[in-house]
Amino acid sequence: MEEQLNSRYVELNMGPQHPSTHGVLRLKLLLDGETVKNVEPIIGYLHRNAEKICELDYYCDSLIYFDRMDYVAAMNMEVGYLEAAEKLLAIEPPERVKWIRVIMAELNRLASHLVWAGAFGLDLGMITPFFYFFEEREKILNLFTEICGSRQETNYMSIGGVYQDFNDKIIFKIKQFLKQFPKKMEEAYSLFIKNDIFISRTKGIGILEPEVALSYGVTGPMLRASGVPYDVRKDAPYLVYDKLNFDIPISRGKDVLARCIVRFEEMRQSVKILNQALDKIPDGPYFNPKAKKSLMIRLRGEGDVYARTESPKGEFGVHLVGDGTVKPYRLHVRSPAFKNLSILPFLARDVLIADMVAISGSIDLVFGEVDR
Amino acid sequence: MNLLTRIATILGFLGHFPAYALAYVIETIVVIIFGTVAVAGMVYLFRKYMARVQIRVGPNRVGKFGILQVMADGLKLFQKESIMPSGRDDLPYKMAPVIVFIGLMMGFIFIPYGQLAWFGNLTVTHSDVSLVILFALIAIMPIGEILSGITSNNKYAMVGALRGVAKDISFEVPMMLSILSVVIMASANVSNPLDINGIVQAQSIPFIILEPLGFVIFFISMMARASFSPFDMGESDSELVTGNTTEYSGLRFGMFYLGLFGTIFLGSMIISSIYLGGYNGPFVGDLGFIWLLVKTLVLVIISLTVWLTMPRARIDKLVTFGWRILLPLSFLQLVVAGFLTLGGIA
Repeated sequence: MEEQLNSRYVELNMGPQHPSTHGVLRLKLLLDGETVKNVEPIIGYLHRNAEKICELDYYCDSLIYFDRMDYVAAMNMEVGYLEAAEKLLAIEPPERVKWIRVIMAELNRLASHLVWAGAFGLDLGMITPFFYFFEEREKILNLFTEICGSRQETNYMSIGGVYQDFNDKIIFKIKQFLKQFPKKMEEAYSLFIKNDIFISRTKGIGILEPEVALSYGVTGPMLRASGVPYDVRKDAPYLVYDKLNFDIPISRGKDVLARCIVRFEEMRQSVKILNQALDKIPDGPYFNPKAKKSLMIRLRGEGDVYARTESPKGEFGVHLVGDGTVKPYRLHVRSPAFKNLSILPFLARDVLIADMVAISGSIDLVFGEVDR
Repeated sequence: MNLLTRIATILGFLGHFPAYALAYVIETIVVIIFGTVAVAGMVYLFRKYMARVQIRVGPNRVGKFGILQVMADGLKLFQKESIMPSGRDDLPYKMAPVIVFIGLMMGFIFIPYGQLAWFGNLTVTHSDVSLVILFALIAIMPIGEILSGITSNNKYAMVGALRGVAKDISFEVPMMLSILSVVIMASANVSNPLDINGIVQAQSIPFIILEPLGFVIFFISMMARASFSPFDMGESDSELVTGNTTEYSGLRFGMFYLGLFGTIFLGSMIISSIYLGGYNGPFVGDLGFIWLLVKTLVLVIISLTVWLTMPRARIDKLVTFGWRILLPLSFLQLVVAGFLTLGGIA
């Protein structure tokens, strides 16, 4: 007690109810004046035991828990789960389904990065870009409503197929959206990148060396911003990513600004992917007859599979163990946001509070996924 | 004939001294009401403008075009229970918003409002040193901020208040120096250069043309003073919740809120008086007050645009900017003002 009273450090508790902690992150800060001496992230406020619940459910029912993991990129979560489940159950989706999944996943990647950009602007004290980004995201969510009947927790895909087929109207609407999207995005992006104060708040802040990033298991845009060109879509292509022409943006800046630039460049690449996919999408059935609705709960799987996909936050891995029954024996999720969060105490040491907020904003945390 | 004399004439049956004393009181109340209404109007304007910038609609439910929204919000704040933290230092905690509010409202008394048709000259106080008194009164407001920070028993409020003080101090000096150059230039033409009214009369050419650098410095300092983004480190909602106002609710919070918007309004009025020629302007005859309002609104809109598009600067960089860039520049413009005056241009 005596020691605490005489200490020159102030302990400050940020969150779980705090405007800049993106959900329910709690940070225990040790402050020396304005300087952050130590950060201790405390997680678990949104823990819903999703992995265990999935083990108690049929293979086809687990999907909705994945929707609620990274709830701003539900489609990418579904793709991640289905990659594992279909491998375990040995059900190959038809060709058209793969293209539909790529389109949906990339649309949701756009939506997720838009949410990140808006929230990052708010972290730095910019109110206006938030609305610009969210207006575009709203258009994507409206497309989702049209395609799958719900905005965010879509529950669109299913084992061996998707819930509803695309029709020409949908494809036309997505194309229409893509036509106006780049201009709107660049406009809002210029609010960021052409602002001197923004640059001064982000450049050289939170420098993450590639070796450190790799040793912490950081993936996704954070890793690519450190100069490591690692992207599951390129390195271990799933769905039809090997038939698409796109680049993996990397930056050598290693700082918060680099992460911002990499994410925006990824959005441009997503638009490129979407344009190609919409042109190339083949005709065919939209589900595998082996997994039609009446057979869905009788699907049995045996074995041990691990599937990885590239979610907007990073490498999203699903480990699925089946023991020959209708329910998985074990399901484990490798959450990219959780792994990325572990770097925060390392990055936010001896920085100002304002920088700490910028760094935690640049990680792109979604707590549904971190806590699961 | 100015408004004060007019009221005193109506009250003439009381005798000379009581009539003038009462007229002062009445006009002060009128001006304070004007100040409150103006700030409320500015809040409405701000919300509409902000909504337009952000592709939203803004208030449109209470009254026609949502005009009464601000009043409804005020009533709501008035009715609310004031939740106060335990372990607060009670008296200063309650005094802090009042200090901010009074400091602001007193400032409105010294603005030269100009003519308004039948009402005559609206200015309340004619003092030879009104500029000095005005800035002394405005300097009271940070005291309220500091008090609110150190007495609410909250670490966020504490850090916010410390930041606010660091920011206020670093912009206070350039602000005062740029005023000094205005006084120097005004002293060439009028006998009372420390009176804002005198400064307005001295501007046959608005001082913004003679001294654009001083105008920019004063404008930046005024925005910093009003805690507008990029200078909102005191509030900084994404880092310190809302800084020194974190533990305030209800009417006390409303006073801080009025203080924020009031400062930008008062500051814009001061700038339009000392740099843009105040109530002087063509076409309006004895309605000079309108020119003052127009100039003020233009400045308000400019600062709102800055607020809406800028991120928050970092406190150390902001303080460095204040001391290392603005301060030398304000000395430079002081020298320029001196030369302009010596050369007989001002």
